[in-house]
Amino acid sequence: MSTLMYWGLFLGLLAIAVGVLLLRYPAGSRGRRNLRWGGWGLIALIVGLFLHYTLPRHAVVRVVNTYNRVTTLGWENRIFYASPDTGTAEQTDTRDIRFIDVAYPDNTVMVFRNEDTGWVWPPYFKYDSATLQARAANFAQQTATPQWVSVTYYGWRIPILSTYPNAVRIREVAGPDVTIFPWANIIVLTLLALVILFVRRMWLQFRQRMVDPVAVEITDALDGIESRTDERMKSARTDWGRFKAWLGLGQKS
Amino acid sequence: MIGFLRLFVVALVFLSLVYLIVRAYARSVHREELEREWDESRSGLSQADRDIFINAGMRVYSQGPGRRLLWLVFILPAVAFAVIVWLVNAQ
Repeated sequence: MSTLMYWGLFLGLLAIAVGVLLLRYPAGSRGRRNLRWGGWGLIALIVGLFLHYTLPRHAVVRVVNTYNRVTTLGWENRIFYASPDTGTAEQTDTRDIRFIDVAYPDNTVMVFRNEDTGWVWPPYFKYDSATLQARAANFAQQTATPQWVSVTYYGWRIPILSTYPNAVRIREVAGPDVTIFPWANIIVLTLLALVILFVRRMWLQFRQRMVDPVAVEITDALDGIESRTDERMKSARTDWGRFKAWLGLGQKS
Repeated sequence: MIGFLRLFVVALVFLSLVYLIVRAYARSVHREELEREWDESRSGLSQADRDIFINAGMRVYSQGPGRRLLWLVFILPAVAFAVIVWLVNAQ
């Protein structure tokens, strides 16, 4: 089965589960209230994880090794790598990927991959992975006096899925105790909040100016039809006449 | 490079949509302001006068300098794109 079919199956089962839960807990019940909070919590969790994966983070480390490794990607971790048409290989599951080994000040280690991100998502627009690898190799060579660097990266290291965060940028820093102020995250999150507030205001304006007046008109029109129908049904003499009036087929208005 | 062209086209279509929506929103806000101004100061006059007042106000607005600001919908993402490309790919 293809990945698309799995996604279809997943979404179908999700829709069925949501439907069953909505039927089980009718509107206004306590279960529905819990369900709504649970739904919002789930959405907040997914958005939070998504932002945590995508936004840049910094690691102050020494570079200890750089290498390429032919890597085969499976259905379980392909989503964590660059899409096929942006990397070095075309339309295949096996490709040569650059890796960078680093060590933190406390001698714990981390493995970054070094892939172009391409032009769509995540929007880092990175196309210089070869240069980045050369810079990393240069830092790795300086073993006599280790050069501490700040690696900007995004993504997660999930060992069981063989996923690695993608190194985006390497800068020299003065020492292992440097802290990097997360300017990019602050700017992006602020803009995101502003966009959400702006969209909400636009939606409220749209509803107030466009939807509500039409809704009032429709309600008025329906009320008018109903009252006229009632009058006609009362004044009709036969059952057939009442039926016609109910259908709205009376001659007089 | 084809990926860059694709991004350009998709971004152009998407931002055009955003531009139209934001323009409609800005016009709606301005119209509401004109309506409130009329209702507060000149409520004695007729509905036809009110329509003339609002249409004239909207015409002035659509030729005014405020509308140029809408181009920021295209300019800001383009600037952000350039800054990110420079920050990420410059040595």
